[in-house]
Amino acid sequence: MLELVPQLLFTGLGIGAIYALVALGFVLLIRAANVVNFAQGEFSMLGAYMMVVLLSILGLPYFVAIPLAVVGMAAFGILFAGATYWPLRHRGQLPVIISTIGASIFLSNIVLATYGPSPEVLPGLFDSPGLEIGGVFMDSQYLAIIVITALLVLLQFLIFEKTLLGKKLQATSQDKEMASLLGIPVAVMVLITFGYSAALGGIAGVLVAPILFVSVGMGALISLKAFAANIIGGFGNIPGAILGGLALGVVETFGAAFISVPYKDAIAFALLLLFLLIRPQGLFGEKISEKA
Amino acid sequence: MPLLEIADLRARYGAADVLKGLSLTVAEGEIVALLGSNGAGKSTTLRSISGLVPNLSGSLVFDGRSLIGLKPEAIVRLGIAHVPEGRRVFPGLTVRENILLGGSNRRGVPRRQLERETDDMFNFFPDLRRLEHALGWTLSGGQLQMVAVARGMMAKPRMLLLDEPSLGLAPLIVQQVFRIIASIRELGTTVLLVEQNAHMALSVADRGYVLETGSLLVSGKPDELWSNPEVRAAYLGGLAGGTGATAEAERAQP
Amino acid sequence: MSSTAEAAAAPATLSVPSARAWRGLPSLALAIVAVLVASSFAPTSGYILNMVMQAATYAIGVAGLVVVLGYCGQISLAQAAFFGLGAYGVGIGATDYGLPFLVALLIGVGVATGFGIALGLASLRLGGHYLAMVTISFQQIVTLVLTNWIGLTHGPDGIKSIPRPSFPGLHLDRGDHYLALCLVVLMVVTWYAWRLKTSRLGRAMQAVRDNEIAASTCGIDVFRTKVLAFGISALLGGLGGGLFAGAFAYISPDQFAFGESIVLLTMALLGGVQSPFGALLGTTLLVLLPEWLRFLKNIYLAVYGAAVILIMVFLPDGLWGLVTNRLRRATPIEGTVPPLPLLSQRASASGEPALEIAGLAKHFGGLKALDGVDLTVRRGAVHALIGPNGSGKTTFINVATGLYRPTAGRIRLAGQDLTAAAPHERTRRGLARTFQNIRVFRGMTVLENVMIGAERPGNDIAEQPAAVVGRALAALDFVGLRGDANRLVGTLSYGHQRYVEIARALAGNPHVLLLDEPAAGLNMTEKGELGALLRRLKGHGLTILIVDHDMNLVEQVADHITVLNFGRRIADGSPRDVLSDPDVIAAYLGEPRENALA
Repeated sequence: MLELVPQLLFTGLGIGAIYALVALGFVLLIRAANVVNFAQGEFSMLGAYMMVVLLSILGLPYFVAIPLAVVGMAAFGILFAGATYWPLRHRGQLPVIISTIGASIFLSNIVLATYGPSPEVLPGLFDSPGLEIGGVFMDSQYLAIIVITALLVLLQFLIFEKTLLGKKLQATSQDKEMASLLGIPVAVMVLITFGYSAALGGIAGVLVAPILFVSVGMGALISLKAFAANIIGGFGNIPGAILGGLALGVVETFGAAFISVPYKDAIAFALLLLFLLIRPQGLFGEKISEKA
Repeated sequence: MPLLEIADLRARYGAADVLKGLSLTVAEGEIVALLGSNGAGKSTTLRSISGLVPNLSGSLVFDGRSLIGLKPEAIVRLGIAHVPEGRRVFPGLTVRENILLGGSNRRGVPRRQLERETDDMFNFFPDLRRLEHALGWTLSGGQLQMVAVARGMMAKPRMLLLDEPSLGLAPLIVQQVFRIIASIRELGTTVLLVEQNAHMALSVADRGYVLETGSLLVSGKPDELWSNPEVRAAYLGGLAGGTGATAEAERAQP
Repeated sequence: MSSTAEAAAAPATLSVPSARAWRGLPSLALAIVAVLVASSFAPTSGYILNMVMQAATYAIGVAGLVVVLGYCGQISLAQAAFFGLGAYGVGIGATDYGLPFLVALLIGVGVATGFGIALGLASLRLGGHYLAMVTISFQQIVTLVLTNWIGLTHGPDGIKSIPRPSFPGLHLDRGDHYLALCLVVLMVVTWYAWRLKTSRLGRAMQAVRDNEIAASTCGIDVFRTKVLAFGISALLGGLGGGLFAGAFAYISPDQFAFGESIVLLTMALLGGVQSPFGALLGTTLLVLLPEWLRFLKNIYLAVYGAAVILIMVFLPDGLWGLVTNRLRRATPIEGTVPPLPLLSQRASASGEPALEIAGLAKHFGGLKALDGVDLTVRRGAVHALIGPNGSGKTTFINVATGLYRPTAGRIRLAGQDLTAAAPHERTRRGLARTFQNIRVFRGMTVLENVMIGAERPGNDIAEQPAAVVGRALAALDFVGLRGDANRLVGTLSYGHQRYVEIARALAGNPHVLLLDEPAAGLNMTEKGELGALLRRLKGHGLTILIVDHDMNLVEQVADHITVLNFGRRIADGSPRDVLSDPDVIAAYLGEPRENALA
């Protein structure tokens, strides 16, 4: 069994990278708009179906379809904000949570009605199956997921830390009123965050599709993993979401190998409950401040 | 023509009238102090000017343009920078980034120029230079106030709104803050200052207004206000020569 | 503002919430008779019967959501899991183990309630979105266990041939008779949930929903209240599920999955989560909706999802809320309530310490908001705590009432050490407070707000519903708001909301009353009224610690003044001494000391 460990680690990091991407989008919305988006996984589902349309139906080449899908998802994210967040933004958190749940039901069933329950297949990024290094078989798709996730995280870091836009986004998430007093267009910043978050989710969906198949149910599953990643890493914490996602992927893969396959998903929830009950601030959570 | 002209301004928060027909003017180049006790409507006046109070009526004219109904983003672009109560320095950004973002209202100014002006700001606030890369949440109250003022100045405002700059600061730091306020005027910026600390405020101001529960009580030059018994009473209650006699008389009653 | 004497002379009429235990029982009996008659016309089997049966059992579960979400404001996305636990309790117990239906139902309901309480325990540390995720995780784990623990649950195939209860002569195996049983249970549950809203526990739940901090300072154990809400909600979920299993004789895991939790939630929200009648309405509509939306075919669920968003945007209070909001008036009130003496703990100024605080410190990171403050409030005295903005006054009150833990120091009330006590325990011992930024329970009426104060544990009349109303009315009389008793508190002016807060504190008959800047935001007239009110309180011998900026007010009422600046006590003594202290004048004016007396 022990010789399986490096292989499982690789697979776990690949799956974890997907969770990390979705969790990242999820956390950005919490920080920028205080929105806990229960339809985050639906972004991945839609991204994957968008690829199905672009690739299989329109017959576009892969590397044209991907940027189109990303842009399409970003536009969708802004639309999503307009429907589920904007009208409710002054009414507190609960109404927005429920409306994103409604959006998740709406989106998955619209897609279900259009494409039916049978899963669609998306080809992988590469034709070659993969390569073997030191006894670990590296599936090309998993490799692609890990590399692209790393690049996206780097890109986000550069945007947030090096550009003025990134600073404005950060300022908006830290204190909206003050940001508006400085002339930062807060509404635009929030919409950009929604667009970016949806694009990240979409990319995750496109990347994971060749592994999981493209199905309506993938959204709900991915949503829940993103929540778990976010709690494990620390609620609203950006590095925490990435590490939480990776950790979750690894734990889940090991759990499936050593404990039980049917309860693989239960492991994620059990881990989530454990963290919520024992360490709700997560691995990297900030201390919840006292406030009267 | 005054730079800012407020006439019969009314503001509501929920069921409460916070401003009840306030009128005041600020001329270009002046420092004007708004004084009054807690809840008199001083901060609300500044927030109304900046577009943060939704239900306004009356007139609010800056440089010939009405500000009523404009968003905060639009108002700061007209040249009014607001340094709010509590400083509101972004806790997760560095001092440099905070100051840099103060220039967000100036569209089309390239980043390189904003960075250069941020450097100039460190000349104006030399104490901040060594804190350039410190995150907002690590600063002390006095440092936060410096950053907030520097950030406000980065907007190149024609008028700076300062809300309670001395709040919670030790006396020495308060004096330092007020030296800075005086030097801001030297740069030609008009200042509308809200203060609890009447003494410090009137020491730098050209004129002052004293508010009480949302309307104007009295206005005038610092020495006029300082010697006005009504002002001292509004501010100090029993402190100004009062005694506890009333309270003792009350105790005798059932 | 009317004085106590005037108000006592005027006979008051008021609808008295929860004073009568049998309230609504006649209507309940009538409804049950009507249901029994109506169900005798029901078909004994078939589609319509099934639909009504589904609506009835679901509605019982949805009533649980009214309690936990509507009354207590805690989101639960696991109601289908509780429903499923009840159903599987009946299914497994009555089928595999051959237990009598009722016993199996009790087990199912018990298991559901147990898990509900466990989830409620999670709310100790978590609120809002965290709790939502805990409940989702729980929901998913229940679904996974139901699907995969094949030995116990029969797995995805589900359980077939679940029997119905048998009582001699009732023929519950007949569809129409069983339906009658479900409807009777539904009526009782609806009546209970309706009664709960105006009971002491229900008011506590709503107080927790509207403002947790104010609830805790009114003596409500917030944690216990949430746990009870979750427990009751899960119990009703389990009960509905158990009856559901008997109704359809077949259950499978997918009937109790996450999606169904959302369906139940939507039923509650559509109808109006504030009222069990709204829940009933919502459930009925959504069970019928598939019929009406049949033409939509496979996009039915998508329309459903869109409907959820539209309900949130356009019907924040649900359909029932829409109706009752329109009808809501300050209803004329019946019944006469004898006025009660407001303050039974009248104490003369005996000079013994009522509240003793020694060496109190509170540091936030490096900031010393309080730095070793001593303060003693003597029984029967009005003690003022003053100081410039940011001097630590509000922090002081928050530490004294237990909202903040002190970094150092001791707090004693009437000789008992309270330093480590939770806020509601301090209130139970007789500490009451108001807030600088008003914290009233916005979803409730003026009277209900004040009743919560009167019901504080430890109050002499807390256990007597009629006396609670009487005391609350007396408190409202005292502040002159009796005429507004049945108005929603949010419709009052700012100044009057402040009086509601004061009345709420007074109704609890406190040993010591802490007023945190009661004059803030009041206009001149209101300040004058407040001064008069405080002088009357003082006349009654109430011990008061008042924090305020308004020196005129402080001068009018204070026997003793303590001054804070930068978290330290800079003066303490009689008003005459303190108000002429040069340090105090300097602190207030910001003047250098030598100029202060110029």
